[in-house]
Amino acid sequence: MAKKEYLMGNEAMGRGAVEKGVKVVAGYPGTPASEVLEYAAKYADVRVEWCINEKVALEIALGASLCHTRAMAVMKHNGTNVALDFLMHLNYTGVRGGLVLISGDDPGGNSSQNEEDSRIITHLDAHLPVFDPWCPQEAKDMVRAAFELSEKTELCFIVRPVMRVCHARSQVSLEEITGNGKEPFFTDDRSRFIMSAVKEPEAGGVLRPVIRHRWLNKKQPELLQIMEDSPFNHVEKGEGNIGLVACGIGYAYVREAEKILGKKFPVLKLGTLPLPGDKVAGFAHRMNKLVVYEDSEPIVEGMLKELFYDRDIKVEIVGRSGFLPMEGELSTGIVLKSLAALYPELEKSVPRTAPLEIKIPVRTRTQCVGCAYRGLLHALKLMARKTHGVVTGDIGCYDAGSFLPLELQSTIYCMGSSIPMATGVAYSGTKQPVFSIIGDSTFFHNGVLGLINAIHNAVDMVAIVCDNRTTAMTGFQPHPGSDTDITGRPAVAIDIAKLATAAGATSARTVNPYNIAEVAGALEKAAKEKGVSVIIASSPCYLLGRRNGDIGFTPRKVSLNPDLCNGCKICIEYFGCPAIHFSNKKATIDQAACVECGMCVAVCQRGAIT
Amino acid sequence: MNLNILIAGVGGQGNLFASSILAEYFINQGHEVLAVETIGAAQRGGSVVSHLRISDDEIYSPLIPAGKVDIILGFETLEMLRNFQMLAADGRYLLNDYQEPTVLCNMEMDTYPTDESIAAALKKSGKKGYLIKATECAREIGDSLLTNVVMVGALCQLSPLLNRQEVKQVLAGKSPVKVREPNLKAFDAGGALVKSAMGQP
Repeated sequence: MAKKEYLMGNEAMGRGAVEKGVKVVAGYPGTPASEVLEYAAKYADVRVEWCINEKVALEIALGASLCHTRAMAVMKHNGTNVALDFLMHLNYTGVRGGLVLISGDDPGGNSSQNEEDSRIITHLDAHLPVFDPWCPQEAKDMVRAAFELSEKTELCFIVRPVMRVCHARSQVSLEEITGNGKEPFFTDDRSRFIMSAVKEPEAGGVLRPVIRHRWLNKKQPELLQIMEDSPFNHVEKGEGNIGLVACGIGYAYVREAEKILGKKFPVLKLGTLPLPGDKVAGFAHRMNKLVVYEDSEPIVEGMLKELFYDRDIKVEIVGRSGFLPMEGELSTGIVLKSLAALYPELEKSVPRTAPLEIKIPVRTRTQCVGCAYRGLLHALKLMARKTHGVVTGDIGCYDAGSFLPLELQSTIYCMGSSIPMATGVAYSGTKQPVFSIIGDSTFFHNGVLGLINAIHNAVDMVAIVCDNRTTAMTGFQPHPGSDTDITGRPAVAIDIAKLATAAGATSARTVNPYNIAEVAGALEKAAKEKGVSVIIASSPCYLLGRRNGDIGFTPRKVSLNPDLCNGCKICIEYFGCPAIHFSNKKATIDQAACVECGMCVAVCQRGAIT
Repeated sequence: MNLNILIAGVGGQGNLFASSILAEYFINQGHEVLAVETIGAAQRGGSVVSHLRISDDEIYSPLIPAGKVDIILGFETLEMLRNFQMLAADGRYLLNDYQEPTVLCNMEMDTYPTDESIAAALKKSGKKGYLIKATECAREIGDSLLTNVVMVGALCQLSPLLNRQEVKQVLAGKSPVKVREPNLKAFDAGGALVKSAMGQP
């Protein structure tokens, strides 16, 4: 019997890559995919790297692949957007050593700014093959198969797990670690690896992009045959002539629903793109209706409609174009509800649920107790409200400053958009002062370009970089400002203040965000300057610091004198520490929750907190 | 055997460690285990829910379907209430008497339900369960971070599907040396809390 280990889906994918002899794994942290890379980092002979961003990660992976080395790039769906420019070229050139791109999707937007389905850009745009696993074991099997098939077809293979597969934990079979048996060596093939609008003499002067596009198109029949024979697609017999097309995680929910209902339906389990056309057509011939369960856009649904039109197959197809919810993530409950709509007699078998008869408050996200950024956000909110300034935000822990109680940042889009958006606000002609706020990891990821652009164009703005020396929100991964890499090896820490100064910022002040007066003073000065003034609020992440014995403050016990508290709520609405409670017109300190950072002492203007 | 356990709490309460102890125990017993956590983007203070599914057959969905939870462990009151409708008709609960106010409650823009209204709603649901002071007990042992282990100890007392001694062995094996003793103490204390809640000696 094969050895089994209780692994998370992400770890299972990392293991799959290691078993297939991957030698380079590069990525950028992002929920739900981060642990893939962290698992691979346990193996000393694999070069594992958190890169500055996802495009760089994919470029590194291809560089290794061109030397016949197996390589993998790991990212979340938003990151795949960042890497898309490169992906739209490597699809034309192809690969040498097996190259796998893991793109973790977050249907429902549990930990993301959108709930994009990355099958669209990777398959429909880039025409690359995609595997969509339903469980950790299949995710691992797919990564293993992807390496073999990538080398066989010379194409980059995409594995697109959704969050519930990434984060699911189960017993996964371990297999031996092997490799492709190739010595790394780079040989030239400029007709492939020089992607440019050059005329090919050998092809009668046809432009190279057209020739490479033709190469990619010619690969498609080979892919179709691979998917036709793939173990990741199969048919299950069942009662009735409504066929359930279960794609990726949809298979888990369909089988679960069958178990609950005690019924077996005809099921077409799909895990690949392109679709296995013959298998799909064979299944559809016996049905008069198909229901497609997929996360999250109706992609397979649309592809089936196209396929059946071409093959003149008449069958009704419904799914996430309206029959099923068009937004949010799939669930067993959604499958059960849809089956009860199709078979009304099943309604009685659907589990009943009754919510409690009580109003349950929403728990919104906020900074951790002890987080240095709370002091920064407090000072910035005072400044922004006083000057009627506009604050553009970015992705990271500090983005919680945009929610209640602070409601500070006015915009949040994607990684790095804070500074360019602030630039646009400044260009609009408004007289409002402009502030942007971005985290350290996000700054390196994409923000630095916006900063250089703003400096070059002498935009009047204050750009604040929150520097807690780690990528905190996704689990403390290092970034280019860190002095060690993922394996603990020494790394060159890029100094943000020096970088800003070298680029020509009007000023670059490093402040301690726990010191509210210091932050406020820096903001006052910066707001009066012309051009781009950079403020770096630098202090270690409290959670990480507590773990490493390197917190950014000297603990001090605080107490609140209720006689001095006049109930002004500045400590709630302009600071919002979860350890400060408010009731009966007075603030109180929850000593059990307080970590003694002492910042609130400076917040209270009546001296009630000491 | 089929058993679905849902652990509802807030970030920092050690929800994942509790789930991993139970998972290892059931795997050792030869069962299939499928688990998943739902965590928002927050490192601390946000809602965290662990789904743990145990069966002798293949398990498909990592998320427990609504209405199929056998036991809900409430590490924090509000988070248990939020997930309470996931319980099966004959599902039971084990609630830690601990309340973490929300930001909006602190701002008086929202109201944390009162003890009376919570007790009334739970009573009206008709579901059986116990309220225990796990966090208070953890603090007495030395650290509120032991709440998760107190709750696991309590669960082992509540459910005959768990063998106390064997779960304790798993706990000992998974505990770093520094916290092994407090963990084992917390585990026993959790069992005692349920015993006394059940009116047993």
